[in-house]
Amino acid sequence: MTQHLTESDVRGIAEYTRIGLSAEEVGRMTVDLNAIIDSLAPITEYDLEGVEPTFHPIGDLSNVMRDDEVRESFSQETALGNAPKQQDGCFLIPSILGEGGDC
Amino acid sequence: MRKLEEVLNDWEAVIGLEVHAELTTLRTKMFCGCKLEFGAEPNTHTCPVCLGLPGALPVPNRAAIEGIVLAGLATNCDIEKHSMFYRKNYMYPDMAKNFQTTQGPVAFCMRGWLDLDVDGPAARERHGLDALEPGQAEGNVTRTEEGYTAHVGITRIHMEEDAGKMVHVGGGEGRIAGATHSLVDYNRAGTPLIELVTEPDLRTPEEARLFMQKLRQIYLALGISNCSMEEGSLRCDGNVSLRRRGSSALGVKTELKNMNSFKNLHDGLAYEICRQAEVLEEGGQIYQETRHWDPTAKRTIVMRVKETADDYRLFPEPDLAPYDLSDEFVEAVRAKLPELPDQKAARYATEHGLSAYDARHLVDHRATADFFDACMALAAAEGDGSRFAKPLANLIINDVTAYMNAHEGFDLAESPLTPERAMELVRLVASDAVSSKQAKEVFAAVLAEDKSPEAIVAERGMEQVSDTGAIEAVVDEVMAANPDKVEQYRGGKTGLLGFFVGQCMKAMRGQGNPKVINELLAAKLDA
Amino acid sequence: MAQQPFGAMSAAQIQAGLKAKEFSAAEVARGALDRIAVADEPVHSFLEVTEELALEAAARVDDALVAGTFDELGPLAGVPVGFKDNMNLVGTRTTCSSRMLADYASPYTATCVQRCLDAGALPMGKLNMDEFAFGSSTETSAFGPTRNPWDLGRVPGGSSGGSAAAVAAGLVPVTLGSDTGGSIRQPASFCGVVGIKPTYGLVSRYGVVAFGSSLDQVGPFSRTVADAALAMNAIAGRDPLDCTSQPNDVDFAAALDEGAQGMRVGIVPEFLEAPGLTPEVRERIEEVAAKLEAEGATLVDVHLPNAKAAMSAYYVLGPCEAFSNLARFDSVRYGYCDSGHKDLNAQYEASRATGFGEEARRRIMLGSYLLSAGVYERYYYPAQQVRTLITQDYARAFEQVDCILAPVSPRTAFEFGEIGDPTEMYLSDMFTISINIAGNGGMSVPVGIGRDTGLPIGAQLVAPAFQDRAMMRLAAAIERLYGEAPVAPGFADGKAGE
Repeated sequence: MTQHLTESDVRGIAEYTRIGLSAEEVGRMTVDLNAIIDSLAPITEYDLEGVEPTFHPIGDLSNVMRDDEVRESFSQETALGNAPKQQDGCFLIPSILGEGGDC
Repeated sequence: MRKLEEVLNDWEAVIGLEVHAELTTLRTKMFCGCKLEFGAEPNTHTCPVCLGLPGALPVPNRAAIEGIVLAGLATNCDIEKHSMFYRKNYMYPDMAKNFQTTQGPVAFCMRGWLDLDVDGPAARERHGLDALEPGQAEGNVTRTEEGYTAHVGITRIHMEEDAGKMVHVGGGEGRIAGATHSLVDYNRAGTPLIELVTEPDLRTPEEARLFMQKLRQIYLALGISNCSMEEGSLRCDGNVSLRRRGSSALGVKTELKNMNSFKNLHDGLAYEICRQAEVLEEGGQIYQETRHWDPTAKRTIVMRVKETADDYRLFPEPDLAPYDLSDEFVEAVRAKLPELPDQKAARYATEHGLSAYDARHLVDHRATADFFDACMALAAAEGDGSRFAKPLANLIINDVTAYMNAHEGFDLAESPLTPERAMELVRLVASDAVSSKQAKEVFAAVLAEDKSPEAIVAERGMEQVSDTGAIEAVVDEVMAANPDKVEQYRGGKTGLLGFFVGQCMKAMRGQGNPKVINELLAAKLDA
Repeated sequence: MAQQPFGAMSAAQIQAGLKAKEFSAAEVARGALDRIAVADEPVHSFLEVTEELALEAAARVDDALVAGTFDELGPLAGVPVGFKDNMNLVGTRTTCSSRMLADYASPYTATCVQRCLDAGALPMGKLNMDEFAFGSSTETSAFGPTRNPWDLGRVPGGSSGGSAAAVAAGLVPVTLGSDTGGSIRQPASFCGVVGIKPTYGLVSRYGVVAFGSSLDQVGPFSRTVADAALAMNAIAGRDPLDCTSQPNDVDFAAALDEGAQGMRVGIVPEFLEAPGLTPEVRERIEEVAAKLEAEGATLVDVHLPNAKAAMSAYYVLGPCEAFSNLARFDSVRYGYCDSGHKDLNAQYEASRATGFGEEARRRIMLGSYLLSAGVYERYYYPAQQVRTLITQDYARAFEQVDCILAPVSPRTAFEFGEIGDPTEMYLSDMFTISINIAGNGGMSVPVGIGRDTGLPIGAQLVAPAFQDRAMMRLAAAIERLYGEAPVAPGFADGKAGE
């Protein structure tokens, strides 16, 4: 089996995907992911020169749009209905440390 | 820190802008039918799509696509017919799906440009202009009589969606740092957003400011956004790096955020240029980082350091069909293009004989240009043609613009100063019925009291007296009352003419035509 | 003879009984509810039973019967229907069998569910599945596995295991499931019922919790092809809320009795020679082919040279899309929240670590890796190119044939815990995955009991894009050869798994 990912790589991915894993879980995940990535080999062995990708298996369907018409929105109560925590009509989250978003 | 002008003697600043504009004039969001409305109760304009609920799917708003194509056509972009939406993946609580739907390598609008006319003191910030004759070009700059024109490249304009809004509680001034918790409102989430990215063609903070201003005029003329920097519907980030004059290598750039007014954009960039120069001159190093402009402290502060390039795991959005825009679609949008500010200014110059300067400043605001057009339509209807164009332009550029700047939220189109009243005022001045000084009082009164200029002039008894007989009597009175001064004048102290004019004006409570007074006084004193 | 459980009747039989006033819709709903309460205990196909919704819908049907407007109700009038628990329905929890969504109350209803309701269906409840549809056995459900009604020691397949088992146990005549790589067809095969994965775009995905957005498709389970056709008539067609959905003007119930005569049926030799395909399955598929030929169909060998790469393409594309689709489960707006953390990141990490099961975590992390800079070019992009090749393979094959006949699964239902290694589990879908990659319609139709295992075997039929009616016509012909799917023996005649 090829070592595609080290445990340190897997810790990095866990951090990126915001999944907290124990040391033991990292070890098991590393073994599993390497085995799965090994099984993806056929993809890397293809001669795909000049082959267009198919990102959307929808034939020639394109330009699907809607008119600029208002549809009914949720009430605030419905919007917040599944919120783990809320305050003042908003979703409540603990403090955000570190880096900000980007858009 | 040294002054910007000095710094720019030694260093060349390389500036690029990223300008986000919300398409606020649409009825609904980018990918769902929730209403676009600023300032509503939190989370009342939300649905499965913009809350990122499991199972929800996006459907693009056709009007938003038309809006971005309009923006692209107005900024000389190539419209890319084949493009796709992508998912830009990053976890942040204001982004309900934890990915932003945006465009990939190919945006709807690519490879555009805008020309900036720079004049006045700011033109001096551009280095090396003295070496050029008017009409002569170097790099992206062409020298003009009053300053120069800078050709600024636009890399792309792409379509995306805005994030929700967060309020940070428990820290200072609603800031993230020190906050104990945050509140998230997704009303804004999914607002159609177009992001314009410029080439790094800007060299001075003033150019950056002018670019933003010009772009704002264009977007307003297109009617695609209310472009409120205060409400955040028009936002700007800047990338700045410095290099020694004569060097062509690019320095390390910083990204500047929170420049939410034209002044902040200018001042933030100016500060950052000076800061970088100081660091570099002291042998220091610039780090690739995001900095936040603090207008109160008048400095930029580090938000975060980018150690590695962000990896957003961009991939084509499978839930949205790709775009294959037809010629008909693009042409139908092109047919909706209104007259743009540059075209309007050119028309004012040729049609109404205005100077390029006047014409350009009339189109600074859509409201003033529309107002000018309405007034000129009235003039045309009354057979006056362009006769009053110049005094009208003066009234708008000086009085109206000053009033607009001083009164936030002033809406010219809804104000007591109707085009009819403006034309009345201009005619009153032109016929010498009121002096230009009185005109200022009448202008203020029209706005304050919502009455016509003629009514105000009549009420206040302000008609200017140009009748030679009446003025002659006053002149005689004043001369008779000041025999000593008459003697001194005649003895060569001609500077006393002003004294006599003042006395006559005083006697006539400011209503005497100063031109007639001057003429009569001069004739009698010199007799 | 005592009234047969309504769930063990076909939709057509129930509708005939309603019209003949043999029983009321309220009795159908009540009967099905009572049967579920008893018979689902050993199966565990239902996660939630929607008694109130079912009775309300039944009252509307009974009103229509009184008013004489029953025929206007729609194709599923009076038919008890269950929904996979990744389909939103107001008034229910939509859990995706995940701890992450254990308490998630649907604030809106999926289009496919709404269309069933609009067609007069009686909504009976929500059905168990592999967590977020990641699996082929329903063993990854956070709420315990569903057991195969044919052998309670075996898996029902997955991920739509609950949807297949509920029909096989005769609890309801029709259910909906979703299929990303075989998640309708494989459990249909394991449980001996009909299961259809329509052409991508034929049924709206709006409101169905996404796994692989370019692969997912909703479809029905039933014990008869005719019932599946009724369900297809109810759910197919363009939905303005799903950009990838397309219009449908086909009546799926119309051509079912035309028979196999004159149909060109493709056989894929490389599938029948695939290592891992058990002899009882292979021989049964060959037998089906021979019987169809005897019925007047023409058999044609077709080749899908690139189908061998479908599995790897799928395990690139599926996890990549899943990684992104599951990023929204972050404990902020809904879902499991491990609270008490001082900063958001700690809350994220704890909530996602606890809320997601192991397979979900594995696929999210795999997708994240495959999309990262430098890796995207090595796997994701080529996988989309391979998709083009596989699509072309099918297009070429369908120049020669009207339908392809293939195995669904290499084997019959396996025992709980029998397959532990994830990559080995993935092989369950070796014959179904390439159809999701290409987007064509595919279905499983029961072809009797395996000679070695005594368990149901399914034959897979594949149609050209949007020619789903062709495979349903062939399925109806096969149904006449092998008989309509029976209720699993342990649940026939009122038994409940004994």
